[in-house]
Amino acid sequence: MDLKTYIARRLLLMVFVLFGIIVITFIVSHVIPADPIGAILGPQAPPELVEKVRREWGFDKPLPEQFVDYIWNLLHGNLGKSIRTNKPVAEDLMRFFPATIELATSAMIVAILIGIPLGIISAVKKDRWPDHISRIFALMGVSMPVFWLGLILLFVLYYQLGIFPGPGRLDPGIEAPPRITGLLTLDSLLTGNFEAFTNAVWHLILPSFVLGYYASASITRITRSALLEVMSQDFIRTARAKGLPERIVLFRHALRNALIPTTTVIGMTYGSLLEGAILTETIFAWPGLGRYSTGAYLSVDFLAVMGSTLLIAIIYSVANLIVDILYAFLDPRIRYA
Amino acid sequence: MKTSYIVGIVVILILAGLAFFMMSQPAPTTTSAPATTPKPSPTATAPATTPKPAPTTTKTKTETAPKIKTPKDILIIAMDTSDAVSMDPARAYEFTSCFVVNQLYDKLVDFELPDLVNVKPEVAEKWEVSEDGKVWTFHIRKGIKFASGNPLTADDVVYSLQRVIKLKQTASWVLTQFVSKPEQIEKVDDYTVKITLDKPVAPSFFLATLTFTTSSVVDKKVVEAHAKNGDMGSEWMTDHSAGSGPFVLEKWEREAEIVLAANPNYWKPGQPKVKKVIIKHVPEPTDQLLLIKKGDVDIVTDLTAEQINQLKGEKGVNIVKVERTHIVYMGMNVAVKPLDKEEVRDAIRYCIDYDAIINDILLGAAIKWQTVIPKGLLGANPKTPYKKDVAKAKELLAKAGYPNGFEIELTTPPTYPQTDIAAKIQADLAECGIKVKIVQMTASEMYEKYRKQGLQLVLAGWGSDYPDPDNNAKAFGDYRVKQLAWRNSWYDDYAADLAEKAALEFDKKKREQMYLELTDYILDHGPYAILYQTVAQHATRDWVHGYIPDPTFFLLDLSKVSKG
Repeated sequence: MDLKTYIARRLLLMVFVLFGIIVITFIVSHVIPADPIGAILGPQAPPELVEKVRREWGFDKPLPEQFVDYIWNLLHGNLGKSIRTNKPVAEDLMRFFPATIELATSAMIVAILIGIPLGIISAVKKDRWPDHISRIFALMGVSMPVFWLGLILLFVLYYQLGIFPGPGRLDPGIEAPPRITGLLTLDSLLTGNFEAFTNAVWHLILPSFVLGYYASASITRITRSALLEVMSQDFIRTARAKGLPERIVLFRHALRNALIPTTTVIGMTYGSLLEGAILTETIFAWPGLGRYSTGAYLSVDFLAVMGSTLLIAIIYSVANLIVDILYAFLDPRIRYA
Repeated sequence: MKTSYIVGIVVILILAGLAFFMMSQPAPTTTSAPATTPKPSPTATAPATTPKPAPTTTKTKTETAPKIKTPKDILIIAMDTSDAVSMDPARAYEFTSCFVVNQLYDKLVDFELPDLVNVKPEVAEKWEVSEDGKVWTFHIRKGIKFASGNPLTADDVVYSLQRVIKLKQTASWVLTQFVSKPEQIEKVDDYTVKITLDKPVAPSFFLATLTFTTSSVVDKKVVEAHAKNGDMGSEWMTDHSAGSGPFVLEKWEREAEIVLAANPNYWKPGQPKVKKVIIKHVPEPTDQLLLIKKGDVDIVTDLTAEQINQLKGEKGVNIVKVERTHIVYMGMNVAVKPLDKEEVRDAIRYCIDYDAIINDILLGAAIKWQTVIPKGLLGANPKTPYKKDVAKAKELLAKAGYPNGFEIELTTPPTYPQTDIAAKIQADLAECGIKVKIVQMTASEMYEKYRKQGLQLVLAGWGSDYPDPDNNAKAFGDYRVKQLAWRNSWYDDYAADLAEKAALEFDKKKREQMYLELTDYILDHGPYAILYQTVAQHATRDWVHGYIPDPTFFLLDLSKVSKG
């Protein structure tokens, strides 16, 4: 099977997966005993108003009819309107997702920059102090609550020392660049607004570090164990036996093979970062997907819940697919089947 | 072995360092300190138990003007804005939306904080009401211009109010409860508007509802220019403004910031006093605390009571308090035995330790209040006869035929401080022999059940939609409006009739008397234990002047706030 057929087959499968997710999310979000209209109108709304708004949104219709309506609209590219924001869900997602992409991508870069070198050091110096330190560092990354680390960093580096800016994407008073992609760093570069660019990058550092540090732990661990496994194989002994310097053995022979499982972890981690990170987004006042979808869940905003779940499902499926395709580049022995 | 020993020490040192930073009270930064050494405040904020007239300010004495860290002509507010839905006055009904809308538009009449009893002229410079109380004539102030430059005339007023009735959005009921058809709002001449009510109501009542943001006057020409598919401009108005208020909506980046720019055509001389207002969305109270301490923002609104206490004595920061028109109560569904017996409800009221809830759980962010109309409004009744008295409660229970108590469910949302209050009530009632089972459910689920009379005891709150006693009197007293009295199955015709009668009383003094009677009656016979009235506590930098916090959620006026 060649690559194109493989991708086509996977994309087809993805449609079924997504349909399954839609059905499950729809059922779950509609059978829970909560009332979106009540949630949005508040405790003081008169009952007639609640009924009127319920009719307006079509929530008085039988469930199967609502489902058919939803699928029909979805096939026409319409994700519906959010009850909470009173805007089309697609528009909302377009507005919140770029902030998440920006944060997730820079966090991923941080995670790779921390995770892979630490994993390598850890494996090379196995059971010696650099190994212990990097493993403890990684352990702290996964076990430290992100909101705690975020607050501590803000307290020390923003409030006490004043090195980094406070929460938000830009300082108040800095003119945001016109919206092109929604990524502030990219938009400010495209429009040549360097003040906004440096400010945006500066604001990005702390949240990316918090999120990236957390994500780096699994990368460190998988790189270490994969590298150790590769290093114990025969071809490494051969390489060493023929007198190759350790540097070449490590980087040219061992690492490339060890990076295959690491790629999987990176792909999946990136997927999960793109879901939005509610805690980090809250601490750093970051208007991302995590805050949007959590807000939607809390106010039982059905269509926004469906829309963001669908987006997350697509991200995961695509991340999975990309990882699988990357495998073949990293390891020519792997064939698509 | 030796290496892991070293590693262990290193880790302990790192953690200890972090913990040290976390625990240590931050030293005041030199940048935000005033030029001369300020003296520590001699008077701390009043203890929470002694209510003071609203609003009160705790000031740190400074001898010279403080050095402003934020730009002098930009007011920066950090608050949680995630509830905002639309800045269209016909739609806005949430805290943030109404707060912003009030800066963008003028209303026919308004309250001037902190006074919530006497309505003041705004767009209407004077008004008359017919003998029968049905026909109102408003005389529009001449010379008001919209931000667009268009003059504000009767056409705009008629259009704005008719628009609310036609669009039938969430908050429209505030107006349509008196005026159900658009034709009832008519233009007499360019500067006179006539409004005919469905039935006569107390003048102070109708005027108070006109201070709500639904009655904002919009610029007819601008709005109509943006109308599509018969939406009367509603979609465009979601994030644009067309008003004559002190500010215009420059930008609203959701969950990031709302930017207001001064309206160059504003009709009140010398206002607004700043060129811009930036409302930064900061959902996390700890962040707000850091921002205000550092002096990077001018006002924060969502600090916890604990954080407010931490800020006391902080150089350069003032704490501003106001009693909100918001009451927290425990509802007792009369349809559930034995809550149908008045003695039992009275016994429950005597079981609760109100002071402990206010001081230990809310840390003073509330005042003791036991009647259904909050302090600050007409007819507010300051009686607080209930205090914890287990002996009396047991006696009442025995009289009702329940000497050994009974079992009952208390429903509460799973959020702080409700969960803590519920646990306290559970412990208090246990002392009287009443076994309370706490049921937690999300607010939306809880209200769904509450609306269908499906709860036993419930912990809930009620905020006034407009500063008139009617809103509370009917909700708590009149089961026919299907609000709280109905949800607690309390079908009391005396209370319902009195609430209705008071709404129609023209004489303000007599009206006040009726509300005092009604609140007394509900206090003794009603299905509620009123727990407290909430107090809003905001922190401002000492360079901010003229900030009067809002007891409601739609009256805050930023036009008089200045920096320097």
